[in-house]
This record gives sequence, structure tokens and C-alpha cells, in this order.
Amino acid sequence: MGQQVLNAIFIGSIYALFAVGYTLVFGVLDILNLAHSAVFMLGAAVTYSLVVNYNQSFVVAAVLGIAACAFMGLVIEYVCLRPLRRRRAPPIAALISTIGLALIIVAAVEQGRPGSFFAWLWVDGANSVRFPPNMLPNPTWHVAGLTLEATKVAVVPITLALMLVLGYVIRFTQFGRGLRAVAENPRAASLMGLDVDRMIALTVVLSSALGGVAGILFGLALSDISPYIGRDSLEIRGLAVIVLGGMGSVPGAVVGGYLLGLIEVLALVQFGSNVHAGVAFAALFLMLVLRPQGLFGAQLHERL
Amino acid sequence: MKRERIILGLLAVLVLAACGTTSTSGGGGNSYAGKTIKLGAILSITGAGGVYGPQSRDGMNLAVNEINKAGGVNGAMISLTVNDDASDKAQSARLAQTMIEQDQDLALLGPTLSNSAVGVHPLAESLKTPILAVSTTGIHIVPDCNFPDTTPCKYVFRDSLGEETAIPDNIKSYVEDKHPSTGVLLVAQDDKFSSDGGTIVQNTVGQYGITLLATIKFSKTEADLSPYVTQAVQKKPDVIFITSLGGIPAKIMTEARKQGWTGQFLGGNGFNTATVSKQAGADGKGARSASAWYIGNTFTSNAAFVSAYRAAYSKDPDQFAAQGYTGIKILADAAKRANLTFSDLAGDRDKLRAAMETVNIDTPLGPFQFTSDHDVKQTVWVIAMDGQGGFTLVHEIKAS
Amino acid sequence: MDFILQLFNDPVAFYQTHTLLIAEIGINSILAVSMFVVLYSGQLSLAAPGFMAIGAYTSVLMGNYWNTPLPLNLLVGTLFAGVVGLAVGLPVLRVRGVFLAIATIGFIEALSLGVILNLPITGEGLGLKNPTADPIGGINIVLGSVAVIVFVLWRLTKGRLGRAWEAIRQDELAALSQGIDVGRYKLIAFILSALIAGFAGGLESHLNFFVDPTEYGVTRTVQVLTFAVLGGSGNVFGPVVGALFLTTLPEIVRVPNFDYRDVISGAILILVIVFRPQGIVGRGGLAIIRPRWWPKARSAASPG
Repeated sequence: MGQQVLNAIFIGSIYALFAVGYTLVFGVLDILNLAHSAVFMLGAAVTYSLVVNYNQSFVVAAVLGIAACAFMGLVIEYVCLRPLRRRRAPPIAALISTIGLALIIVAAVEQGRPGSFFAWLWVDGANSVRFPPNMLPNPTWHVAGLTLEATKVAVVPITLALMLVLGYVIRFTQFGRGLRAVAENPRAASLMGLDVDRMIALTVVLSSALGGVAGILFGLALSDISPYIGRDSLEIRGLAVIVLGGMGSVPGAVVGGYLLGLIEVLALVQFGSNVHAGVAFAALFLMLVLRPQGLFGAQLHERL
Repeated sequence: MKRERIILGLLAVLVLAACGTTSTSGGGGNSYAGKTIKLGAILSITGAGGVYGPQSRDGMNLAVNEINKAGGVNGAMISLTVNDDASDKAQSARLAQTMIEQDQDLALLGPTLSNSAVGVHPLAESLKTPILAVSTTGIHIVPDCNFPDTTPCKYVFRDSLGEETAIPDNIKSYVEDKHPSTGVLLVAQDDKFSSDGGTIVQNTVGQYGITLLATIKFSKTEADLSPYVTQAVQKKPDVIFITSLGGIPAKIMTEARKQGWTGQFLGGNGFNTATVSKQAGADGKGARSASAWYIGNTFTSNAAFVSAYRAAYSKDPDQFAAQGYTGIKILADAAKRANLTFSDLAGDRDKLRAAMETVNIDTPLGPFQFTSDHDVKQTVWVIAMDGQGGFTLVHEIKAS
Repeated sequence: MDFILQLFNDPVAFYQTHTLLIAEIGINSILAVSMFVVLYSGQLSLAAPGFMAIGAYTSVLMGNYWNTPLPLNLLVGTLFAGVVGLAVGLPVLRVRGVFLAIATIGFIEALSLGVILNLPITGEGLGLKNPTADPIGGINIVLGSVAVIVFVLWRLTKGRLGRAWEAIRQDELAALSQGIDVGRYKLIAFILSALIAGFAGGLESHLNFFVDPTEYGVTRTVQVLTFAVLGGSGNVFGPVVGALFLTTLPEIVRVPNFDYRDVISGAILILVIVFRPQGIVGRGGLAIIRPRWWPKARSAASPG
């Protein structure tokens, strides 16, 4: 049981990191960025390629990987989001354009094979790979019948540290204040002299960078990097987390992440592995029916 | 005037006769000179099955090129079109229809995934077109492609060793070595291949004295399998059975080793590619499975196949490549003996089907023949991961 | 590509050799109409695949166990889906916007993972075989159904129901204040959508030899949503056009030995939605933004 709680804490951190990206964009733009899971995967894939195919150290590769994700955030903004804002399109159109971009990103990695057009990005095609075993020191400790693995343990403080920094930025810096203003009321913000477009772009870039970090940590700790890691279950779980925590609330996403991890693991232990995913989603459904604003979401308009 | 015409006519006849005999026909009587044998393959190049499809394609193309360079089949060139079904059942079925009815392929190969085969094989059967499965190993592929209807399907064949042979052979081989008594089964419940494998494990362990302490089901799209592995490991079994595909077996192995479990991993075809061995790394060392093919096997055709593949693609072939290559060889041999007319497609397809039943050739999989159920009868190789991205041979189980 | 050539050169042969494709377009059209009904009434419900699953499993189980004729199976499957639609639609009446989307995702995943995969009668992970499937002959039923359903919906949207739905979609509170029984109309739309989706599911199972439990999850729902949004959800024909376009897209882009189909599809998706955010059949012209250097005189003749 103790081991399962540890599992929950670890996966909760990943969910939280991943969901924060979603919630940032939703809070500011009222849009679900469905390319986020593809960016998550891209972070892991690019870092892996740099380490294995280009012989970089992990640190250099990770920094470049995160940078690649940040750049992809720019792509998302300029290709998928801004043109639609200009045309005053309904938010649901942005859903579709981000789906299109996600399709392209996943396909590009999936078709990365020796000799293909995308071989510079990735050469393992649809396969699952892992970082070279001795790339980072990764001792495992057995304490009180529990197994503690260094990379998994490290994910928790990294996540919390990032969230604290993010929280500080949002609450206390000028950028953060601008962000909250845009989230509250974009027209008023622009009348006050804020460059709304720039704020939005920065938000998407920040969100994507965080997604990239989550992806790299995921690939590192779970020994699994493939074109499908974002899409498969992380995407819907990310949605579940922001619902639980409240859309647009960063602390909500963090708490929601750990909460979902715990719910899943408890359901597993209590009800068995067959039904536990179903239980988690049923819980989600109930939450939405009974308290749609989530734990931390205030009524409708207050966001970050 | 009339005489000139007779001479011209005779000349014409002579010329035609000369044309008819200048092509080198290998099989004696029936010459297919100038004709094309159209084959179609439905493979998963994108999507989850994209882990296997490309290798099947490479193996097939190698065989086609070899055969065509050596003069073709009785002088006819093989034309193989490979179409990607994106691991999607509906696309797979649509492709089957298009290739059978529009492209008018003589025979089909594939599809890659058991999930897709469930829809494609009955369709091919109802459209009376021979189809040769080259990578599906689930149950109810042959001969009962219309399960639960037990009428055998006449047009469906398979050259990929089924799990219902592979898994029991693997378990039996390990039990004879080490006598385990308990096991836990981890199976992905939303994948036909995995579920089939799981069912076979459940039905087999009893007869070898292994008690299955738990069957743990999970979704193949789960991000983190640690909670399931924790559940398995807490039961302290001697053996953990894993019947899943893709990245899942390696993840489970890595996690189980981290949690301190030192027992034996046993699996099915999901273990049999180099990528899985590489992903599992040292954590997978010793994990066993039964394979239809082993790179170091000493069958006559194998060495030539391996070196030709390496020369063409700069990488080692795997089981899927070998089965794809063999598939083409089987169809070519059947075509040679089938007395094809190239003018009656339905009749030719039926003749091909009949000829396939009597195939008996040397392949990289060994001497190959179909059983009366159109299934595979061949040597089974029990292999173990060597911890470094490859495999070592444990047992060779000859076909009985 | 030669697929299009054949369509124009020899339509009859095209029809005969592509029955599966045409049938699939038909099914997707029906699904798109199901999505249309809820979107038109202002509800972003993504529950269609769940109701499809109910229709499919019920229909096939009846046929397998009781040997009942197809029309009866389809009818019972559809009705059962409708009943579940009522059970789900009632509690979510006051859940709005994107929250409804996530709640319905919760429903379909809970149904799929929790129920279907664990009920022995559904064959669990193995799915159900449907020996009476008729992929070639079934096309007649499909095309007939499409025609009937589209016609019926078209009449409905022109009548009182349609006007009520439109009012609700524009502004729910205003509609309420005008005396429209918002709850009732929304529920009607929800149940109607469930019925149509259930029917589509049952029909689809008649065309495939196999009911696959993994086909009724988030991927499916995103696909159906894309039909409706890309086609334009202003009237009932938009989603049908969307379904037609997106189902044939993989075939149009199919070139032997070209593995980058998804990249092209993703790009086309983005282009279509950016240049026509209201959907292909939506009102309004091609939404091209005039760049600064575009001389004003020309804009009078811009495409519309």
C-alpha cells in the first residue's frame, strides 16, 4: 500500500506538470490546446535524439529539448491560434487547428526512420525506447519495504519547485499581472496598453516549455519514449486534472494532479485493476455534475 | 498475290512462335512470359502497428526483387503494392476491398495486426481471394476466420507462428528447466493480441503445474504501469507472464526489477523484436519467449536471406521481415504451379489457393508447409533476451 | 489519387468497388448529424461514441444470442441508447460549455474502461464477433438511413424545435426569460443525439465483423467533433460534408510508398479551419485577412 502511495505521488507530479500547461492556456485564452500532449512527447523525443543520435550530454539535450518545445509554442500561437483570433473565430475552431498540429507532430516523429525525411528528428519510428541506462546516476533504495528510485523521487521536488516559481511569477511580477489582466478581460487589458498578442504568445510558450519538462521527466523516470506517450492516456488525464482542480487555476492543477493520481491508485487497490480507470472517470463525471468549477475554480470569471 | 499472303502468314506465325519461346520459363510447360503477377499487401506502416509493418514490407520487397531479378515466376514479374492501413481496422477493410475489386490483385498479404485481421480476413474469404497473414498470431485467425462459425475459411492462410503454439512451447521449455510453481499474468485488456495471449496463458499454466496467483489487466494506453507492477510483485510469484505489444513489456520488466523482483519473465510474440530487447536492456536479461525465427538458425535459406537483407537495408532482419519474405516466396511458388491463365481472375485466385495448400519449400523459417488448417508447421525457437538488445538461443523445438 | 479519377470516369464501378468506403462515409455522416444536434442546441456533448457502443453491443448481442432479425436489433439498440441518453442527459443539464465536454468524456471513458471491458458478456477486451455482418450489402441500409435522418433533422431544424434550439444556443438565459423551457429542449436534443448515435453504432457493427471496445473512446469523439466543426454546424448538411471530406481524406492523400499521410492530413485540417473557421458549409465567405499591403480597391472584389 505504501508503495502504491509512492506511485501515486510520482504520477501525480507528472499529471500536475502536464496539466499546468493546459490550465495556463485555458485560463488566458479559453481554449483547450490539444497540441499540448504532442509537445510533451516532443520534449522527450528531441532530448532522446540529442543524447543518442547527436551525442550530447543529458543536460545540454534537456535544455535544447525544452527550447524546442518553447519554439513549438510559438508555432502553435502563430499557426493555430492567432489567425483564428484575427478572424474572430469561435473558440472551438482553435480546438480543431491544434488537433491538426498535434497530428503533424506525432506523424513526423512516427515517420522518423533511417532514410526518411524526418530522420534528423528521430530515427526509431513507432518504437518505444529509453534513455541509455547509465546516462544519469539512478540509485534505487529499499527502505522499510518500499522501493525508492532516484529519478522518480527527484520528479516531486522539481515539480514543486517549478510550481512555486510559476506561482511567484504570476502573483508578483509585472508579466504575471499582465497575464492575469488579459485572462480577466482582454479588451480592457489592451485598452490599458498591454500588448495582448505578446502576452498570449508568451503564455503559450511558457505552457509548452512546461509540457516539454514534463515529457522529459516522464521519459526519464518511466523508461519509455515513443511518438505516442502524450496522446495515449496523458491527454485525457490532463483534462481530468484541470477539471478537478478548476479550469484556469494553477494551484488547482497541481492539487488536482496529485488528487487524480491518488484516486486512481486507491481505486486500483480497492476495486482491482480492471475497473479502476472506469472508476476514476466516473468520479470525474460526478465532480462535474456536482461541482463543475472544481476545487479551486471560483465562479466563472476569476482565473489565475 | 495469294502466294505472298501465304508466305507472310507463315512468317507471322513463325515470328509469333519465336516470341513465344524466347522467354526463359523456369517451370517447364506453363510460361507466364510478359505477364504480371499482381500482389497486394495491407500493412501498418503508421500507427501502433508501425512497429512491425515496415519490417514486413522490407522482407517482402527483398523477396520480390530477388525473384524478379532471377527471371520472375515462369517469366512473369511480380508487382507488389504495399498500402498502409494506419493500424485502423476500417481502413484495413476498405483497402482489402479496393485491392481485391478495383486493383484486381491476385492475392493479398497481411494485415499486420490481429485486430484488423478480424475484419479483413472474412471479407477476403467472402470475396474469394487468397490472403496470407504474415504477422498475426492471435486465435481464430485460421482456420476459423469467421468464428464463432466453425466452417474453415478456404482462402485464409498464415505463415506467422500462432501464439497458441508459441506460448505453451515457451512455458513447457521453462518448466522443464526450472520447475516454477506460481505466476502472475499481466495483460493489456483492450488489445486483441494481448487478450488472446492472456487467455492462452490462463489455459496452459495448469497443465504444467503453475498456479496463477493473479491476472492483472490494464489498458494499453496507460502512462505509468508501476501500480500494476507493484500489485504483481507484492504477490511474490516465480514467474511474471507478459502478453502485450509495443513498449509495454520493457516498461514492466524495468519497473519490476526496480521494485526488487528477481523472478523470470515469460512472454509471447510481443518480446520478439530487437527494439523490445533494447528498450528492456539489462532489466530484460533472461526474459524468454518462443519465436518463429532466430537470426542464427541454420536452415539452408536463412544465411542468404540474412546477408541479402543486411546488404539491402543496413540492419538486421527480424521475425517479421523473415515472415514477410517467406510470404512472398510461398505465393511465388504457388503461382508457379497453379497454371494461371491471367484472363480469368476468379479462376486464377481459386487455382492459387489450391496450389498454396501444397506448398513445400525451403525458407528462412525452415522447410515450410501448411497444415490442413492453413496454419504453420515449423520449428519453434525459444529465445532469451541477452540484456544488450539481442537474443540468445535457449531451445530449438522441432515441429512434431 | 487515381481514386478520384475512377470516380469521374466510371461512377458505377467506383460505387461497386468502394462500397466499404461509401458505407463508412454514411456512418460517419450519421454520427456527424448526432453531433450536430447537440451542438446546434448549444451543448458541447462529446458522448456520441458511448451511445454508439451501446447500440452496437446491444444489436450484436441480440443477433448472436436470440437470432433476431436486423431491424429489431437496431431498434432495440437505438432505444437502449436513448434510455441511457436520458439517464446521462438529465444530470448534466446544468453543466455548461467545456465542462460538459469533459463530463461527457468522463462518461464515455467510464463506460468503455469500467463497464465494457469488464462485463464478460461483451467479450471484454476481445470484443464481439458479428457473423451476420454484411459489409457489401449493408450499404443500402446505410445510404437509406442517411437520407432519412438528414431529411428529418432538416425539417426539425426548420420548425419549432430548431428555433428553440437556436435561441438556446445564442443565449441560454435570454431564451429562458423568453419563456422557453430550456431544460426540456436541451434534454430532447441530448436524447435525440443519443438515439442517432446508437443507431449509427448498431449499423456500423452490421458492416464490420467485429465490435471493438477500443473504438468508442476519446479518439473517436474527437474525430466526430472534427466532422461537425470542419463541416460547419450551422445547418444539418455541414457535418455531413465534414464527414465526407474527412473520411475520404486519407484515401485522397494515399500515394503508394509515401508514408507522410498524417502530416498532410494535419496540414489540410489546419488550413481548412484557419481559412474557413465557420466550417466548409458555414455562412460567410473565405475568411482571408487583408494584409496591410493589399490595396484597398481590390478588397471590394475579395472572395465571399
